[in-house]
Amino acid sequence: MFANYFLTAWRNLLKNRAFSAINIIGLAVGLASCILIMLYVKSESGYDQWIPDNERIVRLHTAYESPGRAPFLTVRSAGRMMPAVRDYLSAEIEDGMRLVVWDTTVQQNGEAFSEQVAFADSSFFNVLNLPFANGSAQSSFNKPNDLLISREMAQKYFGSTDAIGKTLTVCCLRGQTVELTVSGVLEDLPDNTHLALDMLVYMDTEVFGQFPGVLDTWTSVNVYTYFKLRPGVSLEQAQLRLTWWVDNESPFLEFAKQNSGMLPDGTKISDTMKHKLMRLPDLHLDAHNDAGNMGDLTPMGNRKLVATFSLVAVLILVIACINFMNLATARAGQRAKEVAMRKVLGASRAQVAVQFLLEAIGLVMISLLFALVAVELVLPWYNQLLGKVFEFRLFSEPSLLFTLLGLGLLVGLIAGSYPALVLSGYLPGQILKASKSNESSASVKLRHVLVVFQFAVSVTLLVCTAVVYLQTQHANNLDLGYSTERKLVVGIRAARDNLDSLKQQWQAIPGVQSVVYSSEAPTQDNENNNFVTLLGSNQGDKPVEELLNYHNMDYGFFQAYQVQPLAGRLFDKAYGSDTLTPAEQNQISQAAAILNEGAVRRLGFNSPQEAIGRTLQISASGDGLNHLTVVGVIPDIYFRSVKFAIRPSLYMLNPQRFNVATITYNQGQASQVTAEIERVWKQAVPMQPIDMQYLSDMLAAQYQSENVQMQLFSVFSLLAVLVACLGLYGLAAFTAERKTREIGIRKVMGASVKQIMLLLIWQFSRPIMLANLVAWPLSIWLMLNWLQVFVNRIDTWWLLPICLMATLVSVCIAWLTVGGNAAKVAKANPIKALRHE
Amino acid sequence: MLKLTNLSRHYLSDDVETLALNKVNIEIAVGEFVAIMGPSGCGKSTLLNIIGMLDNPSSGEYWFNGENVAGYKEAQLAAIRKHHIGFIFQNFNLIDELSVRDNIELALLYHDVPASERRRRVAEVMDKVGIAHRANHLPSQLSGGQQQRVAVARAVVGGQSMILADEPTGNLDSAHGQEVMAMLQGLNEEGTTIVMVTHSPAHADYARRTINLFDGHVVTEDVKAA
Ligand SMILES: Nc1ncnc2c1ncn2[C@@H]1O[C@H](COP(=O)(O)OP(=O)(O)OP(=O)(O)O)[C@@H](O)[C@H]1O
Ligand SMILES: [Mg+2]
Repeated sequence: MFANYFLTAWRNLLKNRAFSAINIIGLAVGLASCILIMLYVKSESGYDQWIPDNERIVRLHTAYESPGRAPFLTVRSAGRMMPAVRDYLSAEIEDGMRLVVWDTTVQQNGEAFSEQVAFADSSFFNVLNLPFANGSAQSSFNKPNDLLISREMAQKYFGSTDAIGKTLTVCCLRGQTVELTVSGVLEDLPDNTHLALDMLVYMDTEVFGQFPGVLDTWTSVNVYTYFKLRPGVSLEQAQLRLTWWVDNESPFLEFAKQNSGMLPDGTKISDTMKHKLMRLPDLHLDAHNDAGNMGDLTPMGNRKLVATFSLVAVLILVIACINFMNLATARAGQRAKEVAMRKVLGASRAQVAVQFLLEAIGLVMISLLFALVAVELVLPWYNQLLGKVFEFRLFSEPSLLFTLLGLGLLVGLIAGSYPALVLSGYLPGQILKASKSNESSASVKLRHVLVVFQFAVSVTLLVCTAVVYLQTQHANNLDLGYSTERKLVVGIRAARDNLDSLKQQWQAIPGVQSVVYSSEAPTQDNENNNFVTLLGSNQGDKPVEELLNYHNMDYGFFQAYQVQPLAGRLFDKAYGSDTLTPAEQNQISQAAAILNEGAVRRLGFNSPQEAIGRTLQISASGDGLNHLTVVGVIPDIYFRSVKFAIRPSLYMLNPQRFNVATITYNQGQASQVTAEIERVWKQAVPMQPIDMQYLSDMLAAQYQSENVQMQLFSVFSLLAVLVACLGLYGLAAFTAERKTREIGIRKVMGASVKQIMLLLIWQFSRPIMLANLVAWPLSIWLMLNWLQVFVNRIDTWWLLPICLMATLVSVCIAWLTVGGNAAKVAKANPIKALRHE
Repeated sequence: MLKLTNLSRHYLSDDVETLALNKVNIEIAVGEFVAIMGPSGCGKSTLLNIIGMLDNPSSGEYWFNGENVAGYKEAQLAAIRKHHIGFIFQNFNLIDELSVRDNIELALLYHDVPASERRRRVAEVMDKVGIAHRANHLPSQLSGGQQQRVAVARAVVGGQSMILADEPTGNLDSAHGQEVMAMLQGLNEEGTTIVMVTHSPAHADYARRTINLFDGHVVTEDVKAA
């Protein structure tokens, strides 16, 4: 019996080559897209679930939400939180630990390498029980400065994992070069973890406790804090207890009470500063919600994005399935006689249904084969685009094979169920008697509904793609407020001691226009915020006090970036009073400050002019005070990513805070200049590799992930549209065929070829128009929501022309698809169509 | 009204040449009622299609109202056809998806007749063929005789001066066949030229003249005494 089914199916496949091709291509494209997206989704989910006890490990995130200000969100926390929380919540918390991550230089055999070093509390392995390649937590991580390195690091520096006892020279931990001895080797971390730990050092809390703002602080957030909850304690329970403790019993509360401005009367700490726990397995996909701009050490994922792509995958498959259903039912008439004969000969309805289901599944399996080939072919490109290494080993991974077979089976069942139901329901008596189409009008209607659905999805995807594209372009081309041309950015931390001579040497290079230092270059974010008191002002009984973000800039910095003052002047050596010097205890030192417009507004001035000459007081490091005279006001410039609003900012000139140099070079001299800059650097700082980037690259890198998302989204939505069009083409071919008699009659009645074509095209445009009516509100709603997250977004009026364009495109595509068939049928001689059978 | 001289039509399919019409000479005057008879495959439908300008002769002349339309392009033929010629088929050829009224209106749809005028004329002709009470029914809800009445209404609603009917009673029982024949006769009496293919001598009897075809030739022409 199955041989007979197979034979019929095969003959049908061959007999209707065009339909079979449309089905196979459509399903193959759908399945291939689905597989590719599945690879992505799979790689994004399941992060950190390999870590023992991951379900009860949490990380502490901090958020400052002062009313009227953009919230400041971070996945880090303050150094004093961990021990205090661990002590107080001992009923809920088994253990906790902190990580401090610093950029360092490792020197080995006369070469220098930039590495990140993580310093961890002794309790690290009680919380994150990572596997060792060599050594153990007890033996290798039990005293200050014990150094654990990954297998990869061991290979890199010592050529084998047998590295215990060997030493590495690590440079510049708070100005000191230290020799660390390897005490153990960790297994390399897999790709699916948010952790990045190549070098892990047992933190000397005595020493680190002395560094300001690291361990001994309630307000500076510079450590990653992890806790392991006791078994059976829920996240919600721990969270509730934590918040209650912070607000009512924590030493932090005492600290806050003593600090003016931190805790206005009648408020709780948790009103403005939130401590939030997040489960380890959720970190990769959800931490970005808590991260603001101080993110993780590895690129963060996005649950919404994963969900969106999953949805797109499903939609493409559904569209392909609809093609199958539509074509199968449209062609049902052709198979009706076969069904009738089988039934006359004794087949039951169920048997007929099973036959058609098997046919569908068979076709899907053939498509799956093509899809697998397609995936193999595009995988290198896909990997490159996503910057991932997806492996697609079908035969060594039986689970993948079974998943795919399962997918094929599922798709086959979905696609085949409706045709099977319809075809098996035919009554043989009617079919063998009737000569005309015996399709019920309900099934014709359903087909129309399905086409409307396909195109509604396609048009929505088109609109979304266009909006995402425009938004990406908008962000890429936004006027940042400063010149970004011909600029190199070089990290200079390692050369702090001889910044002046370095600057002189760089400036002497032919082709270099200017060299300016600053605490950050554009795109490099900081979270240096300080309360600023505006002297001589009144707000109630106190002077105006506001939290401002601050940067430190060299003389000539704004000139180099071509930022003009709105009022006053820029920093100028000629005045001799602009530079900030650290204040001694109980001393006040004078310096100049520049504000941006946002800061001027925040401090309550009505115009930039008003701010000039006023004095701002900030607490300096040490216990002294700085009095800063406002000498200039500059426009709001996008110093950090355009993803964020511009903050009210204060610019000072404290040479001790300089971290980067911006070197502006002459047109066309980039290559000579970079070579010279590097040569000078090597002489000045031999043991530190130069960290040099083009500013344009740094800016472009900000949108890298958006651009990739954009490309992926476009590719997959275009595929969806393509598959939908394939289906429409098939349907058009079939309908034209089915309508030959009607067209013949109309022609005999005097209709011209043009009129017939218009009729056919109109009949196919109608569902497309309807689809557009559905797609417009849907996509506008979706995109309005999506745009919400962007501070700098395109004008929402763009949605209208985009929708119109999408409609035009979809209608044109439909016309092109249908037009060929329509023309053929319209031109046919009516006699044939009208001859009685 | 029309005159065919030495008109031939041959088909070429699968390398087999079929001579469906061989040097046919026929003349039909305005107001005539002509029946065409002959065995199956002798070329009756082919002849009717050519007269109806649905098909082109391979050679010979076809004079219609003083014009030789033999070499005309499809669009030219369509323009003449739609104003002068109505068709009735054995299998009715109504559009299944359209109601009786809409099927009849179809013949006016391509004639630049304003909607109100169309409605009036459709109603009139539906009355005439006695199908008005079924105006909103679909063809599948009608009997064969009723369907053919709709087809007749459609053939004349445009004011066509000639009706070509290819075995109009072939799918009908004798009572319904009679009905349709009476209707055609009525139309002929009002001045419509009718050319009808039939296998039934009884129905051919309604015609004033019978042309017998055999193997693509006109064999005999019988003219009934008035
Ligand atoms: N499109 C065509 N291609 C090839 N041969 C054709 C075509 N149409 C008709 N013929 C042939 O031309 C001849 C005349 O056909 P036609 O349909 O005119 O016969 P008919 O007299 O109407 O027959 P019937 O009484 O069965 O309707 C037949 O031999 C037929 O096979
Ligand atoms: Mg015939």
